[in-house]
Amino acid sequence: MIQFFHVSKRFPGGQAALEEVTFDIARGQFVFLTGASGAGKTTLLRLIFREEVPSDGQIVVNGRNVASVPPSKIPYLRRTIGVVFQDFRLIARKTVFENVTYLPRVLGLDSRKQRQLAYHSLRRVGLAHRLNAFPPQLSGGEQQRVAIARALINEPDILIADEPTGNLDPDLSREILRLFLQVNLRGTTVVLATHDRDTIQRVGGRVLTLDRGRLVSDTTISGTEPPELELSPEPEPVPEAEPSPAADSPPELERSPESEPQPERSPPEGNPPEGQEPPVEIPR
Amino acid sequence: MSLARALRYFAREACLNLLRGWRVSLLAVLTITVSLILGGAFLLASRNLAGSVEGWRGQLRVVVYLKPGTPPSGLPRLAAVARAAPWVARVDVVSPAAARQRFRETFPTLADVIDSGEGEPLPASLEMALRREQAEAGGLDAWLDSWRRRPEVAMVDDDREWLGQVESAVAVVRAVGLVLGGILLGAAIFTIASIIRLTAYLHHEEIAIMRLVGATEFFIRGPFYVEGLIQGLIGGALASAGLYAGYQLIHARSRSLLATVLAGQFLSLRQLGLLLLLGAMAGLIGAVASLRRESL
Repeated sequence: MIQFFHVSKRFPGGQAALEEVTFDIARGQFVFLTGASGAGKTTLLRLIFREEVPSDGQIVVNGRNVASVPPSKIPYLRRTIGVVFQDFRLIARKTVFENVTYLPRVLGLDSRKQRQLAYHSLRRVGLAHRLNAFPPQLSGGEQQRVAIARALINEPDILIADEPTGNLDPDLSREILRLFLQVNLRGTTVVLATHDRDTIQRVGGRVLTLDRGRLVSDTTISGTEPPELELSPEPEPVPEAEPSPAADSPPELERSPESEPQPERSPPEGNPPEGQEPPVEIPR
Repeated sequence: MSLARALRYFAREACLNLLRGWRVSLLAVLTITVSLILGGAFLLASRNLAGSVEGWRGQLRVVVYLKPGTPPSGLPRLAAVARAAPWVARVDVVSPAAARQRFRETFPTLADVIDSGEGEPLPASLEMALRREQAEAGGLDAWLDSWRRRPEVAMVDDDREWLGQVESAVAVVRAVGLVLGGILLGAAIFTIASIIRLTAYLHHEEIAIMRLVGATEFFIRGPFYVEGLIQGLIGGALASAGLYAGYQLIHARSRSLLATVLAGQFLSLRQLGLLLLLGAMAGLIGAVASLRRESL
């Protein structure tokens, strides 16, 4: 799904951000990317969604060599990747709905489909009732969940998060982390950059460690307190009137504290239960 | 996304941007309006001047003044010579007495000047109306030279000489209008470019998010292009309205020859369309120029 082959990145002036980094992330894996500040985590993530191009080496994402993607095709690559940042990057003067529906608008979907997608995505992060709120009216955790909803609105193949819990207190961090794990349970490949060693030790999983631009370890660890996970809710019909808070009672699933990379998984398949709308298909 | 839907989105976003930053948008629109009004005014003046010259050319006239003392009996013979030329449509023989009478009627306050002396102070003349097409076909200059060489001729007054000077003046008016209008239009483009750049800067966070989620450059820049286009179109429309108001004002207030010559007729629909097009192009060029770098 994501392959780095001897990737180096040097910025103008010769400063090396990454040196000879090689790894392979399979579809459906959850991977922590860690290292001290300045280790190159953000640069590595930016290379995945082609915000940067490597100075040397090859990067293959979803079967495409991202360095050779022409500029006009970069948007299509990015539509398969959701990105979440530490600072949320929400537009304060736009409602939650407007913040979440950038991609459906870009794709020219009609307002009904936009509303459906926004509702489904926000419901997954437990914020379907805040469609009309503005970001400043939300807590930090809620804002980050809105950012995650935006990243998930088109069911991306890959979700990238750059220090998503960096601005949150420990309780909110756990809540956000649980969301990422739930997203991963549905088959999305997740790469989460964090310098919070405690979180990694607690959750466990595959950990890529960078040090001054070099990949110094690629290990899989067992978590000390792996969270119990619930699969995020399936899409359900969008209420015509103002959506009310969702009352979900999905089956409780446990995430196994695997100590090795997870095998490739596909999103849940099959027809939705009777009376429910199928998930909204959107083009990329 | 279909083009129609994209254009609707661009128009909606552009209108929102214009409303949000209406003060700076107004500045851009007014800059375009002023430049187009100035250019349009020169266009109006040159159009009317050119029209007047064209009218005068249709009534081309040559006057042959005879030397004093030319016997009246010689006038019909000279008139017959003139009528024989293919470009002469009509010949009026003006006797010295008729010339004196005409002077009195034209300049009544100066009548004493010509009545004070003895004899006829004004010479006899032949006023020839020319057929334009034949006159322009060639041979007229040589024919007029032959008149100048006649012993009884004192002077030949050819309308084409001063019409040529007026045409030069029209060309100067046109050139000045083009240069001034061009300079102001350049300033308008610069203003629009700066304003759209500022608007884009104010939206830079949103633009970054749009790029992140996979918006194409066309989709990101489209609203700004349409914004420039709308500003230009509004500027062009305001300039047309302003010119028409000025034109009506001149007509209502002044019946002078100058007003008639410079503003006898308003701009044609095609010229008004050109003003709108110029405004729109200025807006669009400003927008494209402001967003041409990747730093958006």
